[in-house]
Amino acid sequence: MNFLKKVTTQVLPMAEAHLSLGNNSALHTSAVCCRVQSGRYRITVKRDRPLTYEMANPPHFIGHRKSWNSWNTSTLKDALRPSQTAIEDVFIRKFITGTWHALVCSEIIIKRQHNMIRIAAIIRQAISARKMYFLIGYTEELLSYWMQCPVTLEFQTVADKKDVVFKYI
Amino acid sequence: MLQVLKSLRLTQPTRFASALSSTATNIPSGSADVSAVDSGEPDKLYSKLEIELRGIDPAVLRSYTWFATTAAEHLGIELGKCWSPRKAHHERMTLLKSVHIYKKHRVQYEIRTHFRYMNFHKLTGSTLDTFLEYIERNLPEGVALQAAKTELQQLPAHLQQPPEQV
Repeated sequence: MNFLKKVTTQVLPMAEAHLSLGNNSALHTSAVCCRVQSGRYRITVKRDRPLTYEMANPPHFIGHRKSWNSWNTSTLKDALRPSQTAIEDVFIRKFITGTWHALVCSEIIIKRQHNMIRIAAIIRQAISARKMYFLIGYTEELLSYWMQCPVTLEFQTVADKKDVVFKYI
Repeated sequence: MLQVLKSLRLTQPTRFASALSSTATNIPSGSADVSAVDSGEPDKLYSKLEIELRGIDPAVLRSYTWFATTAAEHLGIELGKCWSPRKAHHERMTLLKSVHIYKKHRVQYEIRTHFRYMNFHKLTGSTLDTFLEYIERNLPEGVALQAAKTELQQLPAHLQQPPEQV
């Protein structure tokens, strides 16, 4: 893969040279090889996009440098209801990012043990503790009603958003 | 078979008693009723408890195996073979990398399932229930556990006596 990338960078000046000569028909285009962009973040011009550690590592590092976001047994071999679990996880993530609006600083980790769901995330300390307790109770109550099982929130808080930033790109 | 049963019966009560006394401190509430119930019928005997673990993370499985075997050691349960196959099971999906065309360019996603097996030998019914519940309650997330028990039974009555006429 690296080999191909190097080749393309070397080919480019040649293509530009062709273009400058006005010989457009000599340029051959094809589908771009090795172009993967899912789960990755683009570099900005000013290099000021903050990334957490999770965001800084592309998906092929899952299980090596970073871990999974959903911990359940439904994706294992011969396991039951994989699609339902995935949909529920998506719903939980959406609900929490919406309820804790602009407060969630990290990925939302969903851990399922027996019939219990434990949800972990890092929250910014932007609202008062009283509101935070209300939101915790509200989220647990509604989610456990929808999922029909006990839901526990295991949130941690940080004082500032910059505390979770791993690097800027 | 019968002789095996007899020798087991002889050796069991002492181990059974020691196991119960040590579980009283280890086990949280919920399994206390195991020691409280004293029914007249004799306890069942199991020659083997085989536990199969499946998980996505081999490190978690290793750590959990360590936990379960250490618990078994403390309870005085005889430990059998603990092993895992060297390679995980890979379930692969090959998709087009692009949304629409470009059939030559594919992307592969895979889900790995790691396996791990544990064997415990010569347990009584109550020890097995207590131990199994203890390790089941401490099962980490993302790990599936399957338990297979092998029960020892008396020879059926029609096989104990030789037939009168052949």
